[in-house]
Amino acid sequence: MTTRFPHAYVVNVLSNDHPGIVASVGKAVEALGGNIDACSETVLGGYFSLVMIVSLPKSTEPAALVKAIEASGDSVAAYQVLARCFEAERAAQPAQPPERFVITAFGADKPGILLKFSQYLAGKDINIVDLYGNRQGSDFVLISQVEIPPRWDIAMLQTDLDELARAEGFTVRLQHENIFVATNQLRLSLSRSEPTAQSRGIDGLTD
Amino acid sequence: MLRTEEILSTIQMLHAEHLDVRTVTLALNVDDCAASGMDAVCRKLRQKILTRSGRLVEVCDRIGGKYGIPVTNKRLAISPVSHILAGHGHAAAVAVAKALDSAAEACKVDLVGGFTALVHKGITAADAVVMNSLPEVLSTTVRVCASVNVASRKAGINMDAVAQMGGIILRIAEATAEQKGFGCAKLVVFANIPEDNPFMAGAYMGAGEGDAAVNIGVSGPGVVGSALRRRLQIGGRLTLNDLAEEIKITSFRVTRVGELIGREVAAELGVPFGIVDLSLAPTPAVGDSVGEIIKTLGIERIGAPGSTAALAMLNDAVKKGGAFASSSVGGLSGAFIPVSEDAALAAAVADGDLVLEKLEAMTAVCSVGLDMIAIPGDTPAETVAAIIADEMAIGVMNDKTTGVRLIPVPGAKAGDKVEFGGLFGSASVIDIRCKGASSGFVGFGGRIPAPIQSLGN
Repeated sequence: MTTRFPHAYVVNVLSNDHPGIVASVGKAVEALGGNIDACSETVLGGYFSLVMIVSLPKSTEPAALVKAIEASGDSVAAYQVLARCFEAERAAQPAQPPERFVITAFGADKPGILLKFSQYLAGKDINIVDLYGNRQGSDFVLISQVEIPPRWDIAMLQTDLDELARAEGFTVRLQHENIFVATNQLRLSLSRSEPTAQSRGIDGLTD
Repeated sequence: MLRTEEILSTIQMLHAEHLDVRTVTLALNVDDCAASGMDAVCRKLRQKILTRSGRLVEVCDRIGGKYGIPVTNKRLAISPVSHILAGHGHAAAVAVAKALDSAAEACKVDLVGGFTALVHKGITAADAVVMNSLPEVLSTTVRVCASVNVASRKAGINMDAVAQMGGIILRIAEATAEQKGFGCAKLVVFANIPEDNPFMAGAYMGAGEGDAAVNIGVSGPGVVGSALRRRLQIGGRLTLNDLAEEIKITSFRVTRVGELIGREVAAELGVPFGIVDLSLAPTPAVGDSVGEIIKTLGIERIGAPGSTAALAMLNDAVKKGGAFASSSVGGLSGAFIPVSEDAALAAAVADGDLVLEKLEAMTAVCSVGLDMIAIPGDTPAETVAAIIADEMAIGVMNDKTTGVRLIPVPGAKAGDKVEFGGLFGSASVIDIRCKGASSGFVGFGGRIPAPIQSLGN
């Protein structure tokens, strides 16, 4: 993606959730003469988290950007802000993006499930591109969307995950994303050869 | 990015409600296996089937695994066997059936359809060979399924063929008396037989369907039933419109599963994708029942007044959901009422709530016909023929497919409980009123002419 201004930063804002946060952050960016080039927000358990790409006409230290945005909060330490320089090449998508799969897990909650699960994926170079987890009573639900390198055989990964799940006492499934697309969305499922709006980077955040 | 709710609702449908792809049916045209020598026909048939279908099971399992959805049955359907039996006799028919049976076994498919004769206007010598070989074929093979089309919109009803089939069905039952007449479960008599149906026993490869095609049958009465019950639990004032909408949406999602898997299987096999048949096809497994859906819709006892209307609504909503989900919907696509394969329907028959006449009415508004019904072993052939004639009339006059799959149980009377065993559990023998009163009508023979509606040119 190309940013509006030449000096770009990736910024993270953490806050208690309430109306007005995006407005005050936006005001801070405007005061610096900058542009919000992309943004994505999550609310979890009453807390707000925002990640955005901000570009400025003049170069600045990330620390200064952090201070400016933190100052826009309505009380001391209302916002915790992090920033670093944005490297445009990080947003570039590979010519053939890896296929996406969905891994779901359900069972009795205990410490270490997400750790073991994510360690397994890391060991296979499987990138988690979306993650949702929650406790329901004493049970947990974990839903991840992952990119699996083409060198892996899906059936073997499924066997590995089944064993991991059996050892830890929960249920896990690994399925190609097309089944979820086909049964929920009014568009054709994607084949390997078709590039998609989603895979072209952070422009397609709406899906 | 997929949303959490989307993922959770699909997981619910697939795993809590046991959605599966009921069948992937590879349809093959085998007309080129014709030869003047019986052995040559069998050899060519076996070779063609093994070459084209050898990878079917493995491909279905792999793609099913990728999506976490089992393909429960892998099946074959051939072009009408009467074509390759032209100029041959009874011995060839039996030999070909055995060749089909063993080729299917070698490919690890559980059923092969297409032992078919199309006789809606007349019976050729080869058709007669096929029909008369059925008792021996269906009692000496395991996987072969047969169908005979005796009526169509354009042709009317071939009452000579109907009369013959009455007798043939009894002879099949006799020949399989050790299995309580269960050989008859592998034969369907049709009006307006579909050319791309993936379900058995009526699957065959129609003319004009090309060399080969992959046809998918998805089912899921359990999924539809659960969706309805969940909607009803949420409460609020619901009308039949709302319930029809719920069925339609669920049917859409189920059909999409079938289309996705079907297209990939077809692509992997290098065979054109044919159609998706979204039919609610019950199995004896708990929860997998069309009868239960009718009860969920508020008919306390299946067979009571309202059963036909409820089924009509269900059948129509299923078709609409399926039609939006795929541009290639075909086969039967609707709700099936195979009595002995549906626990709730079977119980209703056993309790005396659901009678043959009500079933006949229900067939006018759903997909199959009088299906998987155990009848008394001493039913006269003319009465069996007359039951077929009634069902064919419903199909022809209403321009729809109807079928008859009756199982005369040798030695059994109305009300007896029969154990078929295996997947098919048990069934109650249904009462047939006024047995033996139709022989004059059937005895006339000839053709019931095509209805005036067929003059559409």
